Amino acid sequence: MEKSLPAASKTDWNALDDETFRHEVRSFFEEHYPAHLRYPKTRLRWHQISDWTLTLSRKGWIAPAWPVEYGGMGLAPVKLLIFFEEQERWGVGRAPDQGINQVGPLLIKYGSEAHRREFLPPIIACEHIWCQGYSEPGAGSDLASLRTEALLDGDEFVINGQKTWTSLAQDATHMYLLVRTDKSVKKQQGISFLLVDIDSPGITLRPIRNIAGNEEFCEVFLDNVRVPKTRLVGEINQGWTIAKALLGFERIMLGSPKAAQYVLARLEELAVRLGLDRDMGFVDRFTQLRLDVADLGALYIRFVDQVKRGEQLGPDVSILKVWATETFSRLASLMVDAAGSAGATMGDVELFGSHANILSSYYSARPATIYGGSNEIQRNILASQVLGLPN
Amino acid sequence: MLCTDETESERAETRRLLRESAAAFAAKESPLGRARALRGAQPDCALAFWRKLAEQGWIGLLVPEQQGGAGLGFAEMAVVVEQLATRVAPEPLVPTAVFAARLLQSCTASELAAQLLSTLAGGDLIAAVAWQEANAQADPCSIQVCAVPDGKGVRISGEKRFIRPGTACEGFVVSALAQGDVGLYWMPCDVAGLVIEAELQADGSRAARLRMEDVRLDAGQCLARGATAADALVRAFDETLVMVSVELLALSRAMLSMTLEYLRTRVQFGKAIGSFQALQHRAVDLYIQQELTSALVGQAVVLLDGDAGAKERGAMASRAKARAADAALAIGREAVQMHGAIGYTDEYDLGLYLNRALVLSAWLGNGLTHRRRFAANNPLGYGGSALT
Repeated sequence: MEKSLPAASKTDWNALDDETFRHEVRSFFEEHYPAHLRYPKTRLRWHQISDWTLTLSRKGWIAPAWPVEYGGMGLAPVKLLIFFEEQERWGVGRAPDQGINQVGPLLIKYGSEAHRREFLPPIIACEHIWCQGYSEPGAGSDLASLRTEALLDGDEFVINGQKTWTSLAQDATHMYLLVRTDKSVKKQQGISFLLVDIDSPGITLRPIRNIAGNEEFCEVFLDNVRVPKTRLVGEINQGWTIAKALLGFERIMLGSPKAAQYVLARLEELAVRLGLDRDMGFVDRFTQLRLDVADLGALYIRFVDQVKRGEQLGPDVSILKVWATETFSRLASLMVDAAGSAGATMGDVELFGSHANILSSYYSARPATIYGGSNEIQRNILASQVLGLPN
Repeated sequence: MLCTDETESERAETRRLLRESAAAFAAKESPLGRARALRGAQPDCALAFWRKLAEQGWIGLLVPEQQGGAGLGFAEMAVVVEQLATRVAPEPLVPTAVFAARLLQSCTASELAAQLLSTLAGGDLIAAVAWQEANAQADPCSIQVCAVPDGKGVRISGEKRFIRPGTACEGFVVSALAQGDVGLYWMPCDVAGLVIEAELQADGSRAARLRMEDVRLDAGQCLARGATAADALVRAFDETLVMVSVELLALSRAMLSMTLEYLRTRVQFGKAIGSFQALQHRAVDLYIQQELTSALVGQAVVLLDGDAGAKERGAMASRAKARAADAALAIGREAVQMHGAIGYTDEYDLGLYLNRALVLSAWLGNGLTHRRRFAANNPLGYGGSALT
């Protein structure tokens, strides 16, 4: 099914100077993003964010990093950073973006022409929503030990196994997954990359409630799920290489200081309201964190400058993710401490006439240090690839 | 502040060459054994070495050309400071060629200040700034010592402490309150009524404690007064904080690099100990502190060479000092632990770095002091958090 591209995406955004482009993006977000969804407290579900996502799609802005020929904005790295920064600045919620961030770029790089024709236009049109089938009960940080198996039977793969921690699978129409296709070789070498429809017979979803009480991820059971052989991306047993292909400088965004800056500002408001600005013990802790955030900003800018100079980011960019998420976590904990007796009250709590949500940051800080490669895995990578420590 | 119209890339090339020559100079002229031998000595640094620094043009590096200096900026000064810190050189480059020199340079109305500055720039005068009175003081304009009018001059009594360099210097720029105004005075070491005590520091250098009892100074020895003096003092203080942060960063790099090398090569239980995850993760955390410091100090140096206002400069200087000091102490502490017993010996060079880091952390206010200064100048409740 071919789609014609919206006219807006024909604009050469890279030809604009940075400030004009920033202004353009900012004005659009400020004008069109629903006010009640700014800085969402939890991961937004499709029914909440779909209007906005479709607005972006119609504007031709749904895939800022994709090449123009596939319906993206074709933004150069610096323009892309500006786009993300403005999104964060305005507190624009994250839509289900696996199709945009993962499937599209991977198909553009590793897929067949048929894959690109079949799958890219519906991602741009928001008709297909993708989820990621990587983790399994026995394969988290050690992802390569995954056991969900796909056996070739004629022109079809037959998949059996179980995926878990699949974010927003309940809103997805499709899932991309890693499966074992050869058990006789080294674990990384027997993995393949497949695309499946989520409503294929044999797929069962079970939402998992998280400690915040929300259902943001799912278990996915695969029981004799049959998919055509053509749904294999790349060569058979090449899946690990495909999954590991990092999306370049976008890793920098995992270390953006914006989330921490936002909590810091909320914490400051709360502290003043509670009179903690006159408590030396609190002020010392707060100032330490305030400088942790400010200095994260300095570190972030250093990597941004590297992107601006057109340099490749090295593995050292992982320090941003570690510091950003752990600073965010310390801030969220201080928020709970500062709230005192209200530190366990769910939702918006009334304190001295105004309202604050104490626990939302605390809960969102938990997965932040786990996903995208847990911070322990990041430290392993830094130790071996940056510090040159032996295995 | 640079009076040349060099492009940034030319300036970067100049810095690269300067770094090469400073690194070669420091390696040849200041092996670690030299710093080791000067510990506890009187004076605690080598005047012959100071002369060599002057010949390189580095003591007057920041001083304008018309006053006998090289007229370069802080980016260039940072390069030299870094290379000497890497060799733990004990000479007071930052206290004299930055703190005292920048202070004297701002005292534009004083003939004596101009004279002192060009002598200093040529390497013929080692001066120190005597500003601190209270412990953990981070506001140089909070002064109790008074300069009481006496004829055309003044009489100064009181105490100043934690002054570097504590030996080898020939005089002090002393801050005092003159009828409610901040005043800066030149006080030679041999003036009547001045008693100088030297307090031994962790790195074998000495900090001076001045006890002044009716020290009589002539009118000409007043270098600046009022807003000029106060602004000059705060500005030089903040600039010095950033240069000390450059030194601390150099120490951190040296200690972490020694430690990583040790982790790669020290074998226990049949393996390099750097293969143990418990140590790997701690090493990464130290690396993160080093890189945060590096990013921040880089920004701070650029800010000094730009036209930032006093408030912004002060905030950045305190941030840099707080991060650099705490990072260096954390790295030093962990470096000793990861080395094991050898790291605790005097014979091993790690201690030279750690002891210097202790001194530079404490000097002009440690991490906690500077976080409190930052908080006092940027209080909660004004939305400042969102802006930092």
